[in-house]
Amino acid sequence: MQRFEYPTDRETANAARARALESLLIEKGVITSETVDKIMSIFATEMGPFNGAKLVARAWVDPAFKMLLAENTMAAVEKMNFVTKGAGAEGEHMRAAINTPEVHNLIICTLCSCYPWPVLGLPPYWYKDPSFRARAAREPRKVLSEFGLDIDPGKEIKTWDSSAQIRWFVVPERPAGTDGFTEEQLAALVTPESMMGVSMVKPPAR
Amino acid sequence: MKLQHYLGGLEGLDPISLETRVFVEAWEERIFGIHTAMMALSPQLNLAATPSTFGTVWTWADLRKGAESMNPFDYFKFRYYEKWLGGISAYFVANGYITQEELDARTKDFLTSPPAMPKGGDAAVDARVRTYLLVGDDPKRDRSTPPRFASGDVVRVANPNSVDHTRVPGHLRNKHGVIDSIYPDAYTYLCDTGPDGIGEAMPVYCVRFDPEALWPGNTEKHFTFYADIFEAYLEPATAS
Repeated sequence: MQRFEYPTDRETANAARARALESLLIEKGVITSETVDKIMSIFATEMGPFNGAKLVARAWVDPAFKMLLAENTMAAVEKMNFVTKGAGAEGEHMRAAINTPEVHNLIICTLCSCYPWPVLGLPPYWYKDPSFRARAAREPRKVLSEFGLDIDPGKEIKTWDSSAQIRWFVVPERPAGTDGFTEEQLAALVTPESMMGVSMVKPPAR
Repeated sequence: MKLQHYLGGLEGLDPISLETRVFVEAWEERIFGIHTAMMALSPQLNLAATPSTFGTVWTWADLRKGAESMNPFDYFKFRYYEKWLGGISAYFVANGYITQEELDARTKDFLTSPPAMPKGGDAAVDARVRTYLLVGDDPKRDRSTPPRFASGDVVRVANPNSVDHTRVPGHLRNKHGVIDSIYPDAYTYLCDTGPDGIGEAMPVYCVRFDPEALWPGNTEKHFTFYADIFEAYLEPATAS
């Protein structure tokens, strides 16, 4: 539903302003002509949800790793060969919330859009939307049902609000039908939404 | 009081957006990249100096202050990166890097016959940006005093005067919670928030709240709400 009026050239004007700003900043030596592209390339290949998926897959096949991830998330992250090691912007201190048959976890940021960059990359639009941030704090089941995820009324929901310097992610449950899968095969099933708590990891298509 | 500080629990809103893309317009990547470069080149970081002409402080706190100071209707009206584009453009004008006239004229150029993007710049600038992304800006410091609260303590969230920026979720102000865990050491915040109370290194706690105490009769069952809260925002429990 559109509640506001926007100029008809909204997006072309935005695009022109962003390009104008970038070109002036390059001319004035604030950034280089490569800066933005190089940043985007890091998020495409080195800091992204592909890292989180590897953590989840490792936790599914290695119970000791899963326990370490729960109790000392950064120590577990350091064991992976991520380029950020146990650090990285917006991931200096991360915590994993582990889904179980009894508990479903959901991460939110009611004040802004805090997100664990090194393992999840950049947040999808829905996570940054004020409606999600407002509603998930009070009525998570209703919100999750809008994502198509109906949580059993007997299952506890834990919502984690990222209001300080700690960044959260969810370790979803391993889907049925994945016995004997390699870590790589398992990681391919893991979506960003499942690591934020708004979807389950789906069993592989048959 | 700023609505943006009190979003948690707000009623009457629309169904959830199911937009899973990070950027919905190509230009949004450009403003995201500019913001990230500004954070990386901000002079308070302990990183190698570069020939970049960026010499003023820019952190998440500056971006958030801008968003929190907006007219709340505009906050809902504009898409996430539209707010960034407005705030960051205004910062570069206010700090003398560019003039509004230059920006308007260049914008007009891009709308009519787009000029070629300028080329060049010193590789050391991009190297620093990469280092920042891979290393981050660790807020953790040694703890100089023991934490005031212990796991299991009942605490009350303070209701400080948050002038222009805060990390207290508004729906938790004056509410009681239980210390679920204490994070190791102490954490600085990106800026001094004045009477609001954070900035210097202090303990941070994960605090557990019963949603029924936050929204009596107006929330869901089998649900627990947790928030990470700086020690300055916590007080001993009071009789209610």
